[in-house]
Amino acid sequence: MTFQETWLPFIYLYGAGGLAFFLGLILIIKTKALRLDYFKHKKWLGVLLYGLFFYMFIHSMFIFLAINS
Amino acid sequence: MEQMLGTGLDRAVILFYFAIVMGFGAYFGKYSKTTTDYFFGGRRFSWWLITISIVATGIGSHSFVKYTTKAYQYGFSSTMTYMNDWFFMPLFMFGWLPIIYYSKVRSIPEYFERRFNPTARYLATFMILLYMIGYIAIQFLTLATALYKIYGIPLMLTVLLIALATTIYMHYGGQTSVIFTDLIQGFVLIFAGVLLFFLGIQFLGMNTDMSGFKAFWTFLSPENKLPLANFNSPPDFNFVGIFWQDGIAGSIGFLFLNQGLIMRFMAAKSVDEGRKAAAFNVLIILPISAIVVSNAGWIGRAIANGVPGIIPENVVANDVFVIVTNIISSPGVFGFIIAALCAALMSTADTLVNASSAIIVNDIYRPLTKKSKSEEEQLHFARMASIIVKIIAVILVPFFNSFDSIYEAHGWFHSTFTPPLVVAVFMGIFWKRFTSAAVIATFIFGAFLMILGQFNPELISPFSHGIELRPGRGYSYIGALYNLVVCAGVGILVTLFSKPDQDNKLDGLTVFDVHKLKFLYKGSEPNETKGSDIIVDWKEDKKLKDGVRFSQNDMKKMKASQGDLVYLQDARLWLGGLKSIHSVFEKPHNEDGVVYIGSKQIDHGQFIKKNSLKAEKEM
Repeated sequence: MTFQETWLPFIYLYGAGGLAFFLGLILIIKTKALRLDYFKHKKWLGVLLYGLFFYMFIHSMFIFLAINS
Repeated sequence: MEQMLGTGLDRAVILFYFAIVMGFGAYFGKYSKTTTDYFFGGRRFSWWLITISIVATGIGSHSFVKYTTKAYQYGFSSTMTYMNDWFFMPLFMFGWLPIIYYSKVRSIPEYFERRFNPTARYLATFMILLYMIGYIAIQFLTLATALYKIYGIPLMLTVLLIALATTIYMHYGGQTSVIFTDLIQGFVLIFAGVLLFFLGIQFLGMNTDMSGFKAFWTFLSPENKLPLANFNSPPDFNFVGIFWQDGIAGSIGFLFLNQGLIMRFMAAKSVDEGRKAAAFNVLIILPISAIVVSNAGWIGRAIANGVPGIIPENVVANDVFVIVTNIISSPGVFGFIIAALCAALMSTADTLVNASSAIIVNDIYRPLTKKSKSEEEQLHFARMASIIVKIIAVILVPFFNSFDSIYEAHGWFHSTFTPPLVVAVFMGIFWKRFTSAAVIATFIFGAFLMILGQFNPELISPFSHGIELRPGRGYSYIGALYNLVVCAGVGILVTLFSKPDQDNKLDGLTVFDVHKLKFLYKGSEPNETKGSDIIVDWKEDKKLKDGVRFSQNDMKKMKASQGDLVYLQDARLWLGGLKSIHSVFEKPHNEDGVVYIGSKQIDHGQFIKKNSLKAEKEM
């Protein structure tokens, strides 16, 4: 399998998508829509980051499994 | 006459299912007293109820067929479109959701008027309605195509019968009926998908010398196991095109513009419950949904590779779902799986019909009627509007039936109506400088440049990422990137050359004001002190109108003051907020453990005398 089939889509997805995610995160923190001094909001920040890494993990795991199968 | 599929038992199962859903939906009609109830379910439901009901909304009847096809051809990468919605969650959960909830807009076009001007509202109304009614027509057509093969009734008559069936339960119930029928249908969909996977694994185990799961894994090629498609080929299924069409335009469209979905979040009892529903949906439900709609294709591919001769070699890809289901299920079970397909149609269609009638009432009827109408009159019109929407959708069915496939019709539709709206709403929320002139230019000139691109594919070539241009058919998915760029380009250019809107006009309508939305919503400083929730008995006070009265001690426990907002619900939490109201703390009394409520609010909450209520201070 070529790089075009395996890791390039992954890098593009989390490069471009990750950029949108972190720009959004910075915007809501800067505008105080998400307030890091609120306990509840801090927990939500954790959930948001968890979600991104959860999907990264799932996608990378299946790429590894496919390459090694 | 074509040979009918399924047995008499299958047909009976499907009819029984329709009858159950219609009865269930009609029962919840008693919870719709006002247009707020009809469209938003009274803003009272718990996150888990919203989440499960969203499952059924997210899976359309076309999803099973469409994703099974891609799963059969390409394997696990069929899940891509269900697994790329997280990138915009920060902006949705902490930007758009609080804005729509606290600003009390009733529809997306209304947001356009408040953020920009009435012209923007009318343009948005026109485009969103076209999009939604067309979507309903496609749903009708997909299911009618399947049922017509099972019952042998002419296609258009099947379409009419389906439209009639959804009308019966939606007509009186509105959003509450939609939420509760979708709750049941969500479970049915997940169960049917899991059952199909289980039956497929069992079939593989029985027909190979390996265990079912091992056979499934072994007979899928390494390419089939990749979760993302090849970067830029083939032209009809490649990663980069689908990323821009679905991961970017589709995700923003789904989260920010899908009136049906937004109304579902607005039916949540609070913004925080809406956030929970959204997070749970994207993190847990969407991956499950991806498996539910795709697995028949994966099973089919494993059967084709491992047990040759069972699936015909020249099988038409679109028939894979029905063929695989037929092979692995027995009579009755096949009927149940097709009933799940009906569940997918009804739940997606009812959400879109309710959303379309909300737009007709809020964005056409109310602005155009000069005299203020009573709630009863508006509710009546809302019900009539939902019937009109269905009639137009039925009329549109032959038009969509004239496309080569439902997917082409769907794809054409999506790429034509989403990008200008996506750019307009996104820049409206996150760029204060974005002007009214710019939004109108985005709609009109953006759409013009998009059409130009459709007829001149060479304009899209610079964005193609190396995707091959198909002669006579142009680019497919990557056209979304071109469309987004031209719409955004028009919006940015016109903004830079036009006079900025007044700052006070934008109050509470952009992400920059989210921190003060609670103040604007309540009309005074929000009380954020954390108090306890309490359980109380209730008594009627006929003099009370909008407020409720608690004892002084109970208010102390809740750390509440007169004028704060309170949420009261039946203490049986499994009801998910079905019997509940939002109210205001009025002057306290001295009878601890008792809340006094006005007659109208008791009726609205459908409270039962012997059942206690749980009270929580909102702000």
